[in-house]
Amino acid sequence: MAVSQNVLARAPVARHSRVTPQWLTGYALAAPALLLMLVIFLYPLGHSFVMSFFRWDLNTAESPFVGLGNYLDLFTGSSFMQTLRNQVVFTVASLVIEVVGGMAIAVLLNSKLRGLRPARTLLLIPPMVAPAVVGLNFRWLFNEQYGLIDATLVRLGLPAIPWLSDPGWALVSVIIANAWQNTPLLVLLFLAGLQAIPREPLEAAAVDGASAWRTFWAIVLPLMRPVVVIALMIRIIDLFRTFDVVWLMTQGGPGNASNLLTVEAYKLAFQSVDFGHAAAVSYVALVLSLIVLALLYGIPRLTARRAATWQN
Amino acid sequence: MHTTSGALNRRRFLGGSLALAAGAAAGPFLAACGGGDSGGKATEINALLITGGDRYPAYWEKVTSAFKEQTGITVTYDLLQFTPLTSKEITLAAARSTQYDVYSTHTAQIGAFFPHFEPLNNHFDAADIADFFPVAIKYMTNPANGELAAIPRNMDARTQYYRRDLYEAAGVQPATTWEELAAVGQQLTGGGRFGLVLPGQGDPAQRQFADFLWQAGGEWLDQNNNVTFNSTAGVEALTFYRDLIQTHRITPSDVVTYQWNENSAGFTNGTCAAVFDWPGAYASFGDPALSTVSGSFATAPMPGHKTETSCAISHGLAINKYSRKKDAAAEFLRFTVTPDALVDQYAEFKNYPSRVSTADQVIGKAQGPEQQWLSDLRTTIENGKEWPKVPGFDKVSTVVQTAVQNALSNQMSPQAALDAAAEESTRILQQAGALR
Repeated sequence: MAVSQNVLARAPVARHSRVTPQWLTGYALAAPALLLMLVIFLYPLGHSFVMSFFRWDLNTAESPFVGLGNYLDLFTGSSFMQTLRNQVVFTVASLVIEVVGGMAIAVLLNSKLRGLRPARTLLLIPPMVAPAVVGLNFRWLFNEQYGLIDATLVRLGLPAIPWLSDPGWALVSVIIANAWQNTPLLVLLFLAGLQAIPREPLEAAAVDGASAWRTFWAIVLPLMRPVVVIALMIRIIDLFRTFDVVWLMTQGGPGNASNLLTVEAYKLAFQSVDFGHAAAVSYVALVLSLIVLALLYGIPRLTARRAATWQN
Repeated sequence: MHTTSGALNRRRFLGGSLALAAGAAAGPFLAACGGGDSGGKATEINALLITGGDRYPAYWEKVTSAFKEQTGITVTYDLLQFTPLTSKEITLAAARSTQYDVYSTHTAQIGAFFPHFEPLNNHFDAADIADFFPVAIKYMTNPANGELAAIPRNMDARTQYYRRDLYEAAGVQPATTWEELAAVGQQLTGGGRFGLVLPGQGDPAQRQFADFLWQAGGEWLDQNNNVTFNSTAGVEALTFYRDLIQTHRITPSDVVTYQWNENSAGFTNGTCAAVFDWPGAYASFGDPALSTVSGSFATAPMPGHKTETSCAISHGLAINKYSRKKDAAAEFLRFTVTPDALVDQYAEFKNYPSRVSTADQVIGKAQGPEQQWLSDLRTTIENGKEWPKVPGFDKVSTVVQTAVQNALSNQMSPQAALDAAAEESTRILQQAGALR
């Protein structure tokens, strides 16, 4: 016993833990990573936030403080409100298509129909393609003179659609291209969620004679709620930073018809060389997406609390 | 209100603090290296240069090798296409970067860089500068202080390229007026072919509008920098531009999505009978590997209306104001615009020389259609203009691009689109301190 106590007293680990608290060691080990995060993430974030309160462009050596001037300019300008509307339409429409479409495809793939295995593999292709490539491909597919889609429509005796040149269709076109690339990602998420649902309630519903539709609404969808919420969060973050596809397909045009916040920020920074306003647009986008995410995070908690109150 | 000094100025504070800190840290290092003096003989400079095709890397290699042989100065360089090149230079200028000593630049964007490029007046003789086309020098010069910001490497101006075979078959001549342009275009439109192709998106749409604006007798700004592009002439110009697409229908219906590449492709693939294009197009249109119309096109001067004005701009080279090797950089600039270098550039890319004397020499040696084309270009250059170089105009041009597209796609009338753009542009110019 005495020997073992002696050994323990000499053990370096025991002596080390007495001198340095465990939490301090943890922080020391994490410090390089934290420092790196500060430099590459927080500094640019803070820098651009400060920049949004200054008139900051390349034309002059001075950059005076303008307070909320850049933000006021945006909201009183001729086109920013249309850009905001476009962003809302783009986000909502994309979410509806991707979530509803993604769920439908996931349910289909989760069924016992034969021949669906290759489809699951094919689903991996769109998310693997770079958004820039998707943008270029859809620009060609939607081309009115040489595009495959209009050529097919005309062969079927239907009128060609001015996909990218008509203000009404331009935003629709980028929504379609974006949905093509991202819906499969949600299919995979939903498929994983569906396969994790316990079999007992489904078997009980079957014994009770519930229809497939009733089973989906009453059992599958409520159990899938956490997966759907996570999927929505991922997509909302992505949709507010969509750039490549829109830029390559329409550059936000014609006019302002398919302009989104990221495209506007890029135009302001790299065409107008106006970094102050570009930073302000970026922060409008950030705040908007945070509000939507907060609502999304808060509503299920609120409804859950109400449900608990009613049960009590 | 535009504050120029005395007010809270974050850039000055940050810049000063960083300079102080960096200077304290870097001083001993620089002293040890023996660098940091622009007057010293540098043996290596860095350049950010433009590329635009397969032959550019070999061309720049040849230029920099010859320069090293002559001066002993090594030029290490990166090549980028025009748009990413501009974006990178904007970022580097905003950061006051010293990474590159030499920048490739262009009159279209130079307004934003005036405070960030080294004035070249002390690096070039006045007599030497007088040999360059005046329009190029004018728009490379900061109007606020008369300092030359870049040296023009070649002239960029447009001519009318048309299908000689189709025009002859239809018994028509290339248009010399707006009316003829619409009439000839209508005569050649049909059977899946269009009479004309124009760009309608982004910066190219802005340039096309600029041509029509000047040809209608309009201007972007008046002498006090008040906005005038929404004048009667401006509205006439944008209405004509829109009507070519929407009323006369002599262009593909989706030109509102076209930039230069789509524009040129419409001509080379044989679907469009005429196009207004840049000098580089002459070589690609004539190359059977790139063009289905290589043996059947000819050129003519740009059509006019009240005037015959069109864009005359230039690519150039500039010295980074924050460079520590300005003398060596200036030596490189001088080397790239010697008459021999310009002749070589013409032979390589059909780039129109920026020196009047060299252009005369090149035209004198050319024959047949090539001589005709060079003379047409000369006409455009001598009548040429570029948009104003005043603070804030880069943003104005972005606003106008949107306005032009709003009109071309029938979202707004030309008058309404230009009025809305003019109102926003006035605010932009006021904020930039450009209004006199």
